[in-house]
Amino acid sequence: MPPFSFEFFLSVFGEILPYLPITLLIIILSIIFSSLLGSFLAAGGISRSLFWRTVTQSYVFVLRSTPPIVLLFLVFYGFPKLLLLFLNINVNGWQKSVFVVIALSLLFASNLAEVFKAAYLTVNTGQREAALMAGLSEWQAFYRITLPQTIVVALPNFANTVAALIKDAALAYVIGLVDMMGAGNNLIARNFGHHSLETYLALAVVYWVIFIIVEQGTKYLEKYLSKSRAVDTTQSGVTA
Amino acid sequence: MNTTFLIHTFWLSISGIPLTILITGAALLLGLPLGFGLAWIKIRKIKVLYPLAVAYTSLIRATPMVLLILLFYSTLPSFLNVIINKHFHLGIKVFDINPVIYAIIVFALIAIANLSEVFRSAILTIDPGQKEAALMVGLSPTQIYRRIIIPQALVSAIPNIGNLTLNILKGTSLAFMMAVPEITAVAKTAASYTYNYTEAYIDIFVIYFILGAILQVIFKFLERYLGRHKLKRTA
Repeated sequence: MPPFSFEFFLSVFGEILPYLPITLLIIILSIIFSSLLGSFLAAGGISRSLFWRTVTQSYVFVLRSTPPIVLLFLVFYGFPKLLLLFLNINVNGWQKSVFVVIALSLLFASNLAEVFKAAYLTVNTGQREAALMAGLSEWQAFYRITLPQTIVVALPNFANTVAALIKDAALAYVIGLVDMMGAGNNLIARNFGHHSLETYLALAVVYWVIFIIVEQGTKYLEKYLSKSRAVDTTQSGVTA
Repeated sequence: MNTTFLIHTFWLSISGIPLTILITGAALLLGLPLGFGLAWIKIRKIKVLYPLAVAYTSLIRATPMVLLILLFYSTLPSFLNVIINKHFHLGIKVFDINPVIYAIIVFALIAIANLSEVFRSAILTIDPGQKEAALMVGLSPTQIYRRIIIPQALVSAIPNIGNLTLNILKGTSLAFMMAVPEITAVAKTAASYTYNYTEAYIDIFVIYFILGAILQVIFKFLERYLGRHKLKRTA
């Protein structure tokens, strides 16, 4: 093992940071799609129909115990076959990032569904009823009264799920996508397996920085949102 | 779809289950006491150790599992070799150590960091009034921890410990990168001869689903069992 070279460690950042946008793009797209799917699943989880409740519950139950790497490979190898078989669509030309986003969205939708559902249920049903009484439509009551409160409650767990998603997005390189991890591994390969310590440490530092940004951002947002909520409660306290 | 291969590989992959359970169980057993110690350092804010504990927790929790595995597996053996054989001349063949040991070390490091956070938040949720009341009654600090705080903290920690166990179980699917012959490695190797990767991953998916379902049931039961006093009180 060659001794740790600090110069090389610094030069690694120049090699991997150009690939940061790809990693971030995958993360952001996955967050958007998994939030959408997660909201639908949460809606199914609290619906009155037994059918939808069973469907969403089994989805969450199955996906909870699926390792990310297994789902990633399953989507990468199985999804094109499925499409070709049933819909006769050839997806061999698709970019690898598409499969990564699909796999991560499917996986984290199940986590987010639980987060959204739990947050929605903590908001008192009296709030919705009061809003309906005051003459708001069902949609208005949800959009203006229940949803803002749900978001505040869901935020910490949402941030935790996002942190987990960011970490699992690092697996994308196993199907050959050249993101930050892929660039790092290519660098090690070009150095014939040497300097792996420096390269992986540099990658860890980048992920650490991303994690701290997410963590601190959430803390700030939480403080900001709960500040407005605290004002609300004091106001209602005064009027009551 | 090759059904015979699917069924054949399923039975083959089952042989990897003991290793998966061994790695998960060993990581958890190492993680529970050490994680508790780390949580203790963070709660008591013990000098010198506190910033180290916080930095360690943050770094491990921020780094993807793959990255930790690659980092430790590519450097730990050579590092140990330098220390053990060049400095102390013990003559232990580090490179012949079973990779399972390395896998257990990596997953234990992950478990310790995450469990320390679980324990810390669980202990902090206990109302300080409980401690004061116990002191009033005349219990010693160790008695307070053993009889008042830990039993209650454990109840609120169980769902999180369950989640963590599930995450480590899922994480062991990455141990194939360390040449550990667990479920994923066995199925992948079988698939590499005939290129039936879809079938192999369906097998792995099913096995992890079964293992995960069992684990979820066990922790639901534990939660109910440990929380039985709590349930009675709220009812």
